[in-house]
Amino acid sequence: MSGRTRTIRVETLARVEGEGALTIKLHGDRVTDVKLRIFEPPRFFEAFLKGRHYSEAADITARICGICPIAYQMSALHAMERALGIRIDPAVRLLRRLFYCGEWIESHALHVYMLHAPDFLGYPDAIQMARDHRAVVEQGLRLKKIGNRIVRLLGGREIHPVSAAVGGFYKTPAKSVLRELEEDLQWATEASLATVKLVAGFEFPDFEQDYEFVALAHPEEYPFNEGRLVSSRGLNIDAAEYEDHFVEQHVKHSHALHSVVRGRGSYLVGPLARFNLNFDRLPALAREAAHTAGLAPPVKNPFRSIVVRAVELVFACVEALRVVREYEPPAAPRATAAPRSGVGQAITEAPRGILYHRYALDENGLILTAKIVPPTSQNQKRIEDDLREFAAQVAAWPLEEATWKCEQAIRNYDPCISCATHFLRVNVERE
Amino acid sequence: MECRIIGCGNAARGDDAAGLLVARRLREWGVDTLEHSGEGLALMESWRGHDAVIVIDAVVTGGTPGAVTVWDGRKAPVIQDRRRNSTHAFGVAEAVELARVLGRLPPRLSIYGIEGRRFDLGSAPSPEVSAAAERLAQRLFRY
Repeated sequence: MSGRTRTIRVETLARVEGEGALTIKLHGDRVTDVKLRIFEPPRFFEAFLKGRHYSEAADITARICGICPIAYQMSALHAMERALGIRIDPAVRLLRRLFYCGEWIESHALHVYMLHAPDFLGYPDAIQMARDHRAVVEQGLRLKKIGNRIVRLLGGREIHPVSAAVGGFYKTPAKSVLRELEEDLQWATEASLATVKLVAGFEFPDFEQDYEFVALAHPEEYPFNEGRLVSSRGLNIDAAEYEDHFVEQHVKHSHALHSVVRGRGSYLVGPLARFNLNFDRLPALAREAAHTAGLAPPVKNPFRSIVVRAVELVFACVEALRVVREYEPPAAPRATAAPRSGVGQAITEAPRGILYHRYALDENGLILTAKIVPPTSQNQKRIEDDLREFAAQVAAWPLEEATWKCEQAIRNYDPCISCATHFLRVNVERE
Repeated sequence: MECRIIGCGNAARGDDAAGLLVARRLREWGVDTLEHSGEGLALMESWRGHDAVIVIDAVVTGGTPGAVTVWDGRKAPVIQDRRRNSTHAFGVAEAVELARVLGRLPPRLSIYGIEGRRFDLGSAPSPEVSAAAERLAQRLFRY
């Protein structure tokens, strides 16, 4: 084997030709080069936002991603509220947590069941898995549908929801409307527990890395919209300090930018980071499920992220149930404030990890500058680092198998390439 | 006949908006249509309970930009080399095939693909695709 040069190449990782690909060069069992191109930063949207009114940012940025539009809305709204000095009603805060639960349930159910589980059960995709594991797939579909239902209820529309506004919501639901979700959420909680059990039984490659985990941390809650940004190497900052500690570097082989912790290097955001840094703030049911699944922080094997996502499903269902039971409508759907010049930064926890927004506003409330750093941008360098280590482990395998394993290593991060485009790429014989 | 018309795509990605353009045009003429991101599982939900469904999406087959291809979703698989397409996203083709396995295809399903050529973030739909969307909207309106 040694002395032979081989290349692992995955050309169709992305939906946009020429934009997304993975190339790993091997010399014998040694990895000589890893190039990953999966994610284009939303520079177009940053430019597009200039000159727009602050109230438009949430709906515009929601269009960046079809899977996690609420994350974009939430980071945009919180940043604007900070720039304008708006304090939101506690009932609004509660509703936003429910909104985010809906998105996590949708996104995690999609990834765990449809995109990641087939890797572990030995199928090329969920369609072929469905032939043999119909009940599993049906369970995933129903879970995802419940997430959709929450989002639709609070967002008005499932895709690119429109009802969240700076200061609150354009319209808030009646108590009885939320209570209608209770039965679904009770089922979803049970299904999530079953999900943890299912995925905990998978076999995981023996692969651990010494990550710097980065996530929000809140004193009492598992984080969604609020908290300090902390890391496993001692970082503890406010969102306003984000750009002092994290930098984006241009990479030759990609349109993408690589985010690094200043002076240190790559870092990991997403379920593993949240779990490891906030384990004691998970509800008891989720902690027990993790314990039974053999998970204890720090989890350093990225392949186990599927189990952590399942634990987060339990959390999202338990939290959603709490909200629908405790919710009392706010006196007013939203708080307002006069426009003023200023800067606002916010970080929220998208399903894939932290999402940073910064806006500078002029005295009329028009956007002067916008900066958006999505979670996949931040994980991109870390995925390359994983592949550099992991490819060496599978270098001696037949090329097709090694390639598949490397794709799995990328899927551990649930990278947001699905939001690029959704066109069909087809091979057909024309008549 | 009750027919659900669903246009899929991303309005911020050039020709990826093809399906949305058709859905919007038809709505201007009073036809009830749905605009959809094309996320597969939600798509399966959106056609549930409908006897006849038309899905319009941008496609890349290597053909002429603006060319329209029609598939009978009940008959042949839309994608042949599924391994190539399934790396991450779960889109229209995956929705059709999963629905086939689970017995959730609508009794009648037509998929109209408009061949796209540019999908850059922030680009406008190409003239070929805009024209094709207009023609397809007229065709579906008469239908």
